[in-house]
Formats: sequence, structure tokens, C-alpha cells
Amino acid sequence: MDNFQEFISEMDDKIGKIIEKPRRLFFDAENENILEVAEHLFKKMGCRLSTATAQETYKGIEVLYHFSEDKTGSYYCPRIVMKDKSNPKMNSISSVVKGAEWIEREMMEMLGITFDGHPHPEPLLTGNHPKEIKTPWRFNTNVQLRGSNNG
Amino acid sequence: MDKNVIPVGPYHPLLEEAEYFTLKVDGETVVDVDLEIGWMHRGHEFISEGKTFTQSIFLVERICGICSTSHPLAFVHAVEDVDNIEIPLRARYVRTLIGELERIHSHLLWLGLAGHFIGYDTLWMWAWKYREPVLQMFEIISGNRNHYGIMRVGGVAKDVNPEKVKPLHDVLDDIEKKINMIAKAAKDDPVLKSRLKGVGILSKQEAVDYCAVGPTARASGVHIDVRKDEPKDAYDLVEFTEIVTENGDVFDKTVVRLLEIFESIKICRQCLNKLSVSNGSIINKVKEISEGEGIGRYEAPRGEVFHYVRTDGTNRPVRHKVRAPSYVNIPTFKASCKGIPIADALITLAAVDPCYCCTERSLKLVDKNDNSFTLDLLELSREKTEKIRRSI
Repeated sequence: MDNFQEFISEMDDKIGKIIEKPRRLFFDAENENILEVAEHLFKKMGCRLSTATAQETYKGIEVLYHFSEDKTGSYYCPRIVMKDKSNPKMNSISSVVKGAEWIEREMMEMLGITFDGHPHPEPLLTGNHPKEIKTPWRFNTNVQLRGSNNG
Repeated sequence: MDKNVIPVGPYHPLLEEAEYFTLKVDGETVVDVDLEIGWMHRGHEFISEGKTFTQSIFLVERICGICSTSHPLAFVHAVEDVDNIEIPLRARYVRTLIGELERIHSHLLWLGLAGHFIGYDTLWMWAWKYREPVLQMFEIISGNRNHYGIMRVGGVAKDVNPEKVKPLHDVLDDIEKKINMIAKAAKDDPVLKSRLKGVGILSKQEAVDYCAVGPTARASGVHIDVRKDEPKDAYDLVEFTEIVTENGDVFDKTVVRLLEIFESIKICRQCLNKLSVSNGSIINKVKEISEGEGIGRYEAPRGEVFHYVRTDGTNRPVRHKVRAPSYVNIPTFKASCKGIPIADALITLAAVDPCYCCTERSLKLVDKNDNSFTLDLLELSREKTEKIRRSI
């Protein structure tokens, strides 16, 4: 069984809107709370970071971390939305979760997010490319957003 | 002595993927490593957003030639997770059977490559020879040796007919005998032990810190296996043991993979027994996927494959995120390679079982008389094994 209710009661003041499904908990978190939420999940509850998903939505640039609680087979997914699309910025969780280093570097290049406090903020994918690559790649495409409610 | 740099990668003409490692060495000892990826950006996540859910199955099947069950299975789990779709019992057994056969052939492939890297070419040829019947099993079941096109949202596309069960059992019996022979030979070989024990150690804490998965984490004492943690398909209906060892070295990673082959054979037999006596539908027709989010994962041979989809009620994902196990396992090399001799770097890297194409590159050496000569890492690794063999 998952420990969602226990987590929600402990972190009640740090999390926002919640979507609960069997073994899945998606919830909003503010940038100033993300480090504390990550620390609680990774260090106190022993969760493992599977990865993070970044996306441009109509509401802003969104980062969704996926923490797996392996002993219960459940996922805790804090969601951070940066409304300023021209300069998206948030706190890095790499100081707490070493396994977040690569995915945060990738999100920097792909979506132009600045992760404050990242220990190695250099490009991961394009760092040694023979040609000069314009990053973030989000600005190199003319693709339009699809979907009526993908935020 | 000044620190020198040895580039490993980025391209190799024989293998399919590209990664770039920079070993920083002090004399014969590796002191640090820089890792670079991004040499082959294929845009799978972006392409998937323009495909229907069924089309995306064929797309993600082609992310990896070895894990061509794991990615589609994790993807259909993610889509099914959006609406909590149930799948028929028979389909659960077929999915599990295919997944475990993939684990057997992948671990045998790795075993062969590991043997080749340390100068055990007989092991390489044995392992690849005995992998061949597994690929033939795939051909019997799906018509293809690779890229089986069998997973669907709501079930599977192809059944395992009862008349196929007996020949498949025969192949499993034969493979088990051969793997037993390899395992016994490896167990009794003092050179192999000297070559692999205590080499490239990844501690339990490091595995947790790097969020490592699969045999890389299990060999370091971390209990993590998606098949046990979140059992989908028939994994809660079959009996098997999660293989976990404590030392975190290359020897333990080898042991974990070898023992997992036996567990996979055990699971395959249970699935085949069930498929031979039961019948019924293999797919629940899914007419639409509603708006929402879903997470799917599967324990691939290298560890957890992760897929996330966000849907908007149409027949395509709005966002599709893919994370392969090598993405979290390769960074552990930064911890496991520190302090090891250059000759052990190759097998330490290979022990992670990365999707790589580039572990063999030219290295310039200078002897005491200032004569320079070149030697590749593969040659260096094999030479070390030969030295141990001669000394025993």
C-alpha cells in the first residue's frame, strides 16, 4: 500500500493541487519548497528519482519530477510551473539528489531552464559538438503547442 | 607524475550507439572520468507526439535493438495507467514470457562481450552461440528475431499457440544445460576471479545516490526490481527470486546476471505451462484514452525503463518522456572507476552494460627510453588477464 496520506499530512503546507491515482500522486509545488519536498522524498522516505519531465504548456514551463518509492511501487511527482517563459528559473535539486544532475542539465539545454545551485551547469548533450549549437532547442523549432488543456 | 587524459569514444563502427568518456589518469591509475552523451540525438520523444499510440509502440521498439520488448512494454503500461486499463490473463503471460526471453538473450550478449573484453574469447563464442536459440524462440513466437511488434495497449497482438509450447520448453531445457556449464566453468576459474573480484566497486550508498537501477544496483546490495516492486503483467502470478549481492564489484555484477538467467528460465517455464492449459482473449479492445497522465515502467535487462505520457483525449500523446536505464547507470562509472588501473577501466565500464559503441580507442604510451607506441584499451585489458593466467 502507498503512503500518500501520510505524505500529504506531513507536507501539507508545502504542496498544492493534488491528483491522486492508484500508486500515483501528482502534486503542485512552489519553487521555494521544491528542495524541502525533494529532501523529504529522497532522504526521509527513501524514494529514488527515476527522472524528470519538462514541457512547455500554456501556463508556463513545467518540470515534473518522478520519485519512485520502490518498497510500495508508488510514484510521487512534484510539479513546478515557471510562468515566465522567457526566463524560466528554478532551484536545482541536484544538491540533494545526485541522480538529478544529468536530467537537469538536459532540461537546461532543451527548454532553457536555469537551475539555481546546480553543481555542474554545463551542457550535457551539446557541450563538445563540433558546430556551435544554439540552445535552448525550444527556440529552434516552429512547432506549435498541441492540445486544449495540456497544462 | 602529470595527469594524462585518455579519450574513449565517441564512435565505433561495430556497435550501434555513441558515448564519449575522458579518463583522467595518473600513471596507470584512473583518477577521474568525464562523461558526455548526446552524440546521436534521435528525437524519439518528439516524433512520438505526432504518432498514434499504436504507431508509437513501433517507434519505441526501435529505441534499442536489445530492449525491443522493454520500451514498448513500459510505454503500453504508461498508456494503460492513464485509464487503469486491465488486460486479459493470457496476454499477461505472453508479455511476461517475451520480457523474460529478452532478459536471457541480453544477459548472454553481455556475458559474451565481457568475456571478449578480458580475453576470454571462448566464453564470448559460447555465450553468443547459446543466445542464438533464444532468438529462434522469438521467431517461433512472433515471426521476428528482433523487434517483435507484439505489445499493444490492452494486451498483445500475437498469441503463443499450445503447439508451440513443447518446442519452446525443449529450447529452454537445452539453454539451461549450457548456462549451467558456463556458470560452473566460471565458478572454478581462478583467473576470472582474480580479474573481476574487487574491481570497479560501486558501494551501496553510491548506487543509491546515483539512483542506479537493475543489476548495477542489485550487485551493490540495493533491493530494486520493478518486477517485485510494482508487479504488472504476470509477475505477481509467477515465482522467482530477486538476485541481490553485496560487493558491488564486476564479479558480483556478473553473478547477478548469470543467476538472473536461471530465474528468467524458471519464469518462462511457468508462463508456458499456463499458456498450454488456458485459453481466452489476448487483447481488450481500447477505443479511446481519456485526458490525463500515466507512468509505465518495466524491469529491462539493464534496469528500470521509464515512460511517461500525458494525453488530451485524442489518439496521440501530448508529451511522451522516455528514460532508459543506461541514462542513470552510466554516471555511476564516475564512482566505480576511481583508483582502478587503466587495464580495468574497460571491464568496469562494460559491467554497467551500457548501450555503448565506443569503449575501444587508441592509447599512446611512452616507455622509459622515450619510445612511443600505441595500444588500445581492449588489448590492455586482455593483456592483464594473460599476465594473471601465466602467474597462476
